[in-house]
Amino acid sequence: MPITAEFEYVKPKDMEEVLHVFSLYKEKARALAGGTDLVVHLKEGLAKPEVVVDLKAVPELAGFALRDNTLRLGALATFTDLIEAPVIKAKFPLLWEAALTVASTGVRNRATVAGNICSAVPSADSAPALAVYDAVVLTRSLGGARRVPVADWFTGPKRTALRPDEIVEAVELRLPEKKHAGCYMKLSRYEGEDLAQGGIGVLVFADHTYRVAACALGPKPGRCPLTEAALNGKKLGDKTLQAAKEALLREISPITDIRSSKEYRLHMAQIMLGRALESASARLLGKGPKYGAENIC
Amino acid sequence: MDLQKLKTKPRKAARTAPAADGLKVVGKSVLRVDGWEKIKGAAQYTDDLQFGPGLLYAALVESPHAHARIKSLDTSAAEKLGGVVKVVTGRNFTQKFGLYMNDRYVFATDIVRFVGEQVAAVVATDPKIALRGAALVKVEYEELPAVMDPVKALEKDSPLVHPDLGTYSHVPWFFPKPGTNIAHWRKIRKGDLEKGFKEADLVLEDTYYVPRYAHCAIETHSAIGLYDASGRLTMWTSSQSPFTQRHVFAETLKSFGLSHKDVRVISTYIGGGFGGKAGVTMEIIAAALAIAVPGRPIKLLWNRAQEFYNTYQRLGVTAKIKMGVTKAGKITALDFKLHWDAGAYVEYGANVVNAAGLSASGPYRVDNISVDSMCTYTNLPPCGAYRGFGYSEFLFGLESHITRMATQLGLDPVEFRKKNAIKEGDILPYGAHMNPNGIREAIEKVEKEIKWGVKEKSKDPRKAIGKALVCFWKSPAMPPNASSSAFLKFNEDGSVNILVSGMEIGQGLLTVMAQVAGEVLALPVTKIRVETPDTDRNPYEWQTVGSHVTWGCGNAVKRAALEARERIFDLVQRVHCLDKSTLYLEDECVRCRTKPDFSLPFRDFVINGIQADDHTFKGGPIMGSGVFMPEFASAIGDPETGQGGHPNVHYTTGSAGIILEVDRETGKMKIKKVALAVDCGKAINPDLVKGQVVGGLLQGFATVLYEDMRYNEKGRLLNPNFSDYKIPTVMDMPEVVVPIIIEVPQPDGPFGARGVGEHTMIPCAPLIANAVADALGVRIKSMPVTKEKVALAAKAARK
Amino acid sequence: MKNHDIKFTLNGEQVALSVEPSDVLLDVLRGRLGIKSPKVGCDRGDCGTCTVLLNGKTIRSCLALAVEADGTEIVTLEGANTTRKWTQKLQKKFHEKNAFQCGFCAPGVILSATELLEKNPKASKHDIKEAIAGNLCRCTGYEPIVEAIEETVKGK
Repeated sequence: MPITAEFEYVKPKDMEEVLHVFSLYKEKARALAGGTDLVVHLKEGLAKPEVVVDLKAVPELAGFALRDNTLRLGALATFTDLIEAPVIKAKFPLLWEAALTVASTGVRNRATVAGNICSAVPSADSAPALAVYDAVVLTRSLGGARRVPVADWFTGPKRTALRPDEIVEAVELRLPEKKHAGCYMKLSRYEGEDLAQGGIGVLVFADHTYRVAACALGPKPGRCPLTEAALNGKKLGDKTLQAAKEALLREISPITDIRSSKEYRLHMAQIMLGRALESASARLLGKGPKYGAENIC
Repeated sequence: MDLQKLKTKPRKAARTAPAADGLKVVGKSVLRVDGWEKIKGAAQYTDDLQFGPGLLYAALVESPHAHARIKSLDTSAAEKLGGVVKVVTGRNFTQKFGLYMNDRYVFATDIVRFVGEQVAAVVATDPKIALRGAALVKVEYEELPAVMDPVKALEKDSPLVHPDLGTYSHVPWFFPKPGTNIAHWRKIRKGDLEKGFKEADLVLEDTYYVPRYAHCAIETHSAIGLYDASGRLTMWTSSQSPFTQRHVFAETLKSFGLSHKDVRVISTYIGGGFGGKAGVTMEIIAAALAIAVPGRPIKLLWNRAQEFYNTYQRLGVTAKIKMGVTKAGKITALDFKLHWDAGAYVEYGANVVNAAGLSASGPYRVDNISVDSMCTYTNLPPCGAYRGFGYSEFLFGLESHITRMATQLGLDPVEFRKKNAIKEGDILPYGAHMNPNGIREAIEKVEKEIKWGVKEKSKDPRKAIGKALVCFWKSPAMPPNASSSAFLKFNEDGSVNILVSGMEIGQGLLTVMAQVAGEVLALPVTKIRVETPDTDRNPYEWQTVGSHVTWGCGNAVKRAALEARERIFDLVQRVHCLDKSTLYLEDECVRCRTKPDFSLPFRDFVINGIQADDHTFKGGPIMGSGVFMPEFASAIGDPETGQGGHPNVHYTTGSAGIILEVDRETGKMKIKKVALAVDCGKAINPDLVKGQVVGGLLQGFATVLYEDMRYNEKGRLLNPNFSDYKIPTVMDMPEVVVPIIIEVPQPDGPFGARGVGEHTMIPCAPLIANAVADALGVRIKSMPVTKEKVALAAKAARK
Repeated sequence: MKNHDIKFTLNGEQVALSVEPSDVLLDVLRGRLGIKSPKVGCDRGDCGTCTVLLNGKTIRSCLALAVEADGTEIVTLEGANTTRKWTQKLQKKFHEKNAFQCGFCAPGVILSATELLEKNPKASKHDIKEAIAGNLCRCTGYEPIVEAIEETVKGK
């Protein structure tokens, strides 16, 4: 299926050139990293840019590194890069687990985390992980750099805080200092590749504090503060869990769409929360399912 | 025969000692003859063919409305676009076409009847330009009231999809009702329904709903047409039906002076069919475009969305069942009303309705039966053949109903099925007799395999385990005179080429045909080449549908091989003065029972003949031809009762069982084990039969667990892609699949074989629904049985 | 709209051609370079039948612009057939196990399995499933495909 839209293609060698193009073209420029969303949008006429800016030759955007307990994911870091990195699996297992649920190998070899949050669909699998690791999105334009906390990043379905003359340079995640374990539970129509109909990411800390985030259960993915408040300081038990589930229902607002009904999403959100907390707690004790196993609901 | 055991047998089966039945090639799991081509990426599919720089590309202008009148059509802007060669509309193509009923148009000219219907096509030098041109065609529509539901379509004030239905030509066994949306009404009336219900101790009445489904072959439809300066039309199509296509092209385009001899259809390998590439859909557009732009090849390639909304879809059905059963478990009466949503054009789909109506009793003896199978026009895309041809759809309701009734009467659902299972000689719903079959053996083997009667508990307390066993049957749905033919010719080295027009659609037809001929001619399949057809060179085959080609085409190939063998024997008798009756073929040689030292290799004479004592040569190229026509079949019966004809040639029967684990909270289902026993008469290649079982089951489970076509109220398909029409991945396989082959020979089949391709998917829906009911006590009566439905039903039941 | 002159290695040979920015890699491979093993299936990354190896990793060639191929190394099944040891071993097993029916998905599946075994010659059944989870097959029910790859790993 050909792309009928006409556009220019540029592949700058450095950041400055990239930023010049974006300052000139603004929303008429589209960044190309993995292209797994952009090319579909071009084919289906959903994107009509005047210029496509291929970022893959910009050295500053490549790779990822963990320094001083901060993980910096360059804008070109693919999901496969994360999955194949032992440091990610060891230090950010929730991100690793979420990455494994994104599409399939041939897509993950190209698709980037930055692209995932720029597309900003409510079902973005990486979003709950980024939220619980208190990620910060690093953007840059000719006017300067910004650090946007992930909580402020998603502004609505397919909408972000990115300005038309900016690009995402990197995403930074903080490694939690205390001992913890995590779990990403994803609601799919089947075991194979699917867009999340709901996703719950949790981190459980040894001191009975918790971080909880969701995707596909409202217009934008993000943390669930009421749920966390219901859990914090408490051991997991039936009563606590019940209170957490009730809190969760107060802060999510799923819709009915072709993939799932609101009713099922509400039902499953509670079950996923329970099961995610259960798995993460077990993992904290060195038990429970391996990361990447038994997390598709 | 146990397939698991067969698997361990040596692969070079063709050269091993004869089996007890004396067969050396048939019955062996020889490797596929098309294997290397396919796994090396060398196999050519239609879109892979190269046509050089002269190739033109077409893009369509499609209706955005489900039902509308075309007020105006302005092609001028598109025509001005550089690179656009021509914009083609229906103005020059007014002849209606169809397989069983002529109700379809090449392009809509006056009325559009579904969203996506073709209104015009833009032919250009480049695919991008064609698409840009199509976007420039301006069409003004006046929207008309539309009907989307087959039951509502029967209401008095329903919009009529085809007001001119009364003028349409159709096969004599269709019964349209002009002035309504009923395109065909297949009635079956046998026995005394009222008496049957009186005799019953339990009468249960309920409605089951089945939505539409898409085939989802990974290859989309494509066709290339070339109408050359001499007036000959060549079509390269991805098709299960090259000869049927040739016929439809020739008939529809007759006014351009085409005769059948001028139309040539070449079919390459096809990337999956499943019924979707049977008959004629988009190919007629490519043929018309070729006529409109003579002298250059024109390619039409469906994109994935078009593959969903503008090829045949599987019909949806609303099935109302009323059944009577005695305490002893005998079915005394069945009143079955099937309301089929067949879409805007039913030229093929109406025969699905017919087939289902004839066989709606399922594989059970039901003496008092009434079936109303109604083919209803709606303003949704046209429906047609889909693996199973209506049987999956009615079996969902029927087999759900049977389990419910048995359970309500406190009877064992498996014993119930055994008691009612059809036997050889039983009277079928339309009055003919049932063929020999192994359904009881199938039930017994499956029952054992799933340990029926043993209640199992999941290790996970959140999950429950349910079991189910159901039966199935299916007959090829074909016109009574659907025939097959084959040519067979020897080459200098004693190898053979076979020409047939049965299509290799993945099932392994080429291999099986080679085995049939190889058995007769004492040749290993490695010495036989069978390829996909070209209607100019290969002999006639009606279509590759209905799981009938192993049987029909196999019979033709066997006859061709026998004829070639006869010619060999005649020649050897004439030249060597050996009595023909003492001759036999073995190890690629002619041998003689009375003269053990006589051995004449094929390669010594099959082309150049045998040299006689006087140094002259006798004989010449050895060839054979074979024709098969089911001469006992007839489609004509009483329209009000369906009695009198012999519309179905035979039934393949079987049984399937499942062990299903269900998560009580999430509704997620895991198939722990599935066993399917099918009576294929004779497994010509057991591994290929196994392939049909494993593949067919997953396709069947997909229709019940994940898939369905969703339309909005305006008739627009909401999920024309694999992101939201979820066909299973490798992660979604059942844990264990046990194929079981039953072999009760089909008397008129080649080596006793009958078809098996479709049957393996048709029991899946009631298997899941019944196993869910067994596990959780909830009954889902509408497909698909998704985990969402199961979870919410279980939740409601807990309250 | 400016055309771009690109160069890349295709199955070991240097290729140079001029492409439009909107040209899709799959369409250029098939339409202009005569490389037909990557197929058009869904055209949006869902089915995997257009799989090619780009710098040793499988990608969806339907989701790549041709211009992105500049300077890369692309291998399709046509090339892997003769140059990749694992491809050849896999093909033998695919034949023996009937791990294909219509054959349309086979090139993509075999390249995905090749990538896996080149990275992890001891792949488990789970690894195998994960590696080919993006390659849709409508015919086989996947069982013979998984068996064929498992047996390739075991060197049977």
